[in-house]
Amino acid sequence: MSATTTKPSALGRRHTGSLVWHLGALLILAVILYPVLWVIGASFKPSKDIINSLQLFPGHPILSNFKGLADGIADIKIWTFFENSLFYALGSVVGILISCSLTAYAFARIRFAGRNLLFSLMIGTLLLPYHVLLIPQYVMFQKLQLVNTYVPLLIGKYLATEAFFVFLMVQFMRNLPKELDEAARLDGCGHLRIYWSIVLPLCRPALITSAIFTFINAWNDFMGPLIYLNEPGKYTVSLGLMMFRDSDGVAANYGGMIAMSLVALLPVLLFFLAFQRYLIDGMATSGLKG
Amino acid sequence: MGTGTNVERRTVLKAAGVSAVTLGLAATACGGNGGTSADGTVTIRYSWWGAEERAKKINQSIALFEKKYPKIKVKTDFQTYQSFWEKFQTQAAGGNPPDVFQNAVGFLRKYDRRGILLDLNSQVKAGNLSLDHFRAGVTKVGEVDGKQLGVPVGSNTMALVIDKKVFEKAGVDPATGWTWDDYFKALKTIHDKTKVPGDTGYFAIMYLYDLYLRQNGKAFFTEDGLGFDKSDLTEWWTDGYGRVKAGIVTDPKVVAQDQPKSSLSAGHGASEFTWDNFTVRYSAEGSSTYGLAPIPTMNGKDTGQYLASLMLSASAHTAHPKEAAQFIDFMVHDPAVGQIMGYDRGILASTEQYAAFKPTDTVSKEIAQYEDTTAKSGVLGTITPHPSGADTVEAAFLRIGGDLGQGKTKVTDAVKQFFTESEAAFQA
Amino acid sequence: MGTAVTLVKDSVPATRKARSAAPVTKGRRGRRENLAGYLFMSPWIAGFLLLTAGPMVASLYFAFTDYNLFNSPKWVGFDNFTAMFDDPRWRKSVEVTAKYVVIGTPLKLLLALGVALLLAQSRRGQAFYRAAFYAPSLIGASVSIGFVWRSLFSDGAVVDRTQSFLGFHVGGWVGNADWVLYCLVALTVWQFGAPMVIFLAGLKQVPRELYEAAEMDGAGPFRRFWSITLPMISPVLFFNVLLETIHSFQIFGSAYVVSNTYCGPADATLVYTCYLYQKGFKDAQMGFAAAMAWMLLLAVALVTAVLFWSQKKWVHYEEDAR
Repeated sequence: MSATTTKPSALGRRHTGSLVWHLGALLILAVILYPVLWVIGASFKPSKDIINSLQLFPGHPILSNFKGLADGIADIKIWTFFENSLFYALGSVVGILISCSLTAYAFARIRFAGRNLLFSLMIGTLLLPYHVLLIPQYVMFQKLQLVNTYVPLLIGKYLATEAFFVFLMVQFMRNLPKELDEAARLDGCGHLRIYWSIVLPLCRPALITSAIFTFINAWNDFMGPLIYLNEPGKYTVSLGLMMFRDSDGVAANYGGMIAMSLVALLPVLLFFLAFQRYLIDGMATSGLKG
Repeated sequence: MGTGTNVERRTVLKAAGVSAVTLGLAATACGGNGGTSADGTVTIRYSWWGAEERAKKINQSIALFEKKYPKIKVKTDFQTYQSFWEKFQTQAAGGNPPDVFQNAVGFLRKYDRRGILLDLNSQVKAGNLSLDHFRAGVTKVGEVDGKQLGVPVGSNTMALVIDKKVFEKAGVDPATGWTWDDYFKALKTIHDKTKVPGDTGYFAIMYLYDLYLRQNGKAFFTEDGLGFDKSDLTEWWTDGYGRVKAGIVTDPKVVAQDQPKSSLSAGHGASEFTWDNFTVRYSAEGSSTYGLAPIPTMNGKDTGQYLASLMLSASAHTAHPKEAAQFIDFMVHDPAVGQIMGYDRGILASTEQYAAFKPTDTVSKEIAQYEDTTAKSGVLGTITPHPSGADTVEAAFLRIGGDLGQGKTKVTDAVKQFFTESEAAFQA
Repeated sequence: MGTAVTLVKDSVPATRKARSAAPVTKGRRGRRENLAGYLFMSPWIAGFLLLTAGPMVASLYFAFTDYNLFNSPKWVGFDNFTAMFDDPRWRKSVEVTAKYVVIGTPLKLLLALGVALLLAQSRRGQAFYRAAFYAPSLIGASVSIGFVWRSLFSDGAVVDRTQSFLGFHVGGWVGNADWVLYCLVALTVWQFGAPMVIFLAGLKQVPRELYEAAEMDGAGPFRRFWSITLPMISPVLFFNVLLETIHSFQIFGSAYVVSNTYCGPADATLVYTCYLYQKGFKDAQMGFAAAMAWMLLLAVALVTAVLFWSQKKWVHYEEDAR
């Protein structure tokens, strides 16, 4: 932001300025990361120490919280929740990639009557509170006997109801050079061909970003599964976590709950570590190439 | 465009294929409604509320049942209490409630009004379910207008749990038939001698207020509404909060902080009114020794107590009433099930199960003892009827009482609010 | 400015600027284009009708009925709406939500902007810090973090101990009706990384020459910020304010988990959507819940309209200057 100078006196100032900057940033970092570090440390503490002990990491770490997880909860293996969440997340990713890219291509590359109107409508849905739709959707799915299945949770993903990703992809596609399209058109390619063979491959960064965000959102999704899933055997990780609470909110197994919380976070954190460039670039500069 | 495009295309095609399969799978993963398979095996759904320990016991019991009845399979699921009733409500509204489910007296009329509960008398007549061999007339708990809508699995009655060490230190010895005056004096003594408030918040407990009202010839509910008026409740809450100010009852703010632990276990109060079968919780949570004391009375004898119970009910929409009845019959009468369940859902209601399970730990023994003595002393009356909407009223009582405790409202406003919400609940 | 600016401009009514004319290609080519367009759009159209427009109409209908799922909806006119305004718990939920939005959103955005300004100074490790500060935004909405947050703000845990150490003991925030909402505020502020990343991108777009010219004219850092940075990033700021505000109106999961599903104590965390959920799914008053949802929609629409209108006053688009 500030122009750099190379005057000798400024250099000295820059070094102390740099030190202060790093200290400040590190301080913020410490506060930001504290909860994450805490949950890591807490999962190795015995249940009664979790709240009361102020040490981040226990002097004598124990593994019993994790071992307890392996026993499952109420005869359901923890792994079942992960399978369900994985199914939900992957199913969502596939749906989003297909339906949103098709829609985005139409907006970005096809001149059809009513395009602007539909585009505005779609942007409008971004600002629409979900709760207006919640109850009628529930009633509809209930009348169709689809409650306690994953259909209500997944169907929207296959019908491009996530305007954010459509928008992301539209922005990306709009910045692709039209010459390739036109060349293909002269060769006799129809829209489908152009979409598949030219535009989609070039959209890889937007697709990857969408895929990762979709995966993470589905993994964290709580309200959807809460409303639509009735059977513990179908629960996702977020609902499975809630099972660790007792009837009066007493966590019968506090240590297990914390350990499970950590394990539930791991996939998201791992995704983040592996793909953070895509996520951050996607957030910030999706409209620009590269 | 070369290999790049082909890879993309193949990926997309594969993905499309996967997604079709996914959707297909999801659609077939339909909510398992009880069905009959080709070989005549019947599957019924059983839903209940509770936590993990109960889950283990229920699953063991089901395994026994399926051994005895190989043609019946039981699919089970459970939630926390709140979530259970939310789910049940929406399932019932969709015409798809579980075949068999745990039930509580506050919900009987509500769902009877909507035709959700099966009158089990028909199954009793058919010989699939027995209402004999129950303790102390507890089957009345599941009766509404002559219909048997629930079968008790475990009974309980209100009790006063005390921190024995603190009571000893203060030199207080609760005696059967002690009066409310004795009780409040005792609270003061305890606070003076040990600095610990004598009770953790008696006025917030709806079922205790019910007992107090019954001792005064009223009751919390009538068959279609509240059994007391605004001045009663105003007096109850005003007196209660007066005692908080005097320090002899734990400050509700402290109680909220202690949660999810009870203030009794946390040492912030010396006694707590609760259902007798919950006593086990304190020994698990706290570090003192806990025991049961008698309910205070107005006249030295009548406590207003009655036996309440958790029940099993069946859905009026079930496709398998016979199998549902057989399952209920097994779960409430079979002695082996009694041994597995123990006092987890209350003191075992049927005489077979009560005889089969001999409690080994001190607390359970004491609870059984307490129920015995109470039954023998002849103070047990008929349970207060619960009109439709009782569950909402109970939640409102708790919540508004909590607001009062946090200092967020005044007693007169709270009472008005409670009565308004109760009215609405009875109409719903 | 990529996403941010274009989103904003696309949502701006067409009358404001001369957008490209509606794409009407004439003749057979046009009809083929239309067909192709609608074929590609068919999933979205199906989704829009089935899952958005249809439910919207249905919920508008439900809002004027008494509907408990068991019986058919019974028309009651405006009763739900009058009942809402008479309902002290509804008023409380509005109050709680308003408090949360008014306190949490500015705090979050100010922190995001501040840290973005800090990071924009191109020091070594910028990428690392950017990524690290962003991480909480990915996990903040999860049940896991809800549990962690509840633990950290409980009696005897780190927040309580620190406060007592600093001299003003309150006890755990989660059990205290006066403080528990600030738990949620803290949780949303913790996730400042997402708007921060967007601010960073906006800051990067500001041309260096502007700053250099200003420095040569003798402008100090504050002046440079006020006269150059702010106007140049105002579209990004608008984008963040709009999205964050709308998002925070709809908070549910965090309140539900941190308060252990009761949205208390004493309704202190009874955010609007939590009361909506309770009314709809616990009390089965679907008509009332639908009416609540439409009120929320109106509120969001109002805020959005006001923000868009205010754009003229303070949002500076590059193209306008030329």
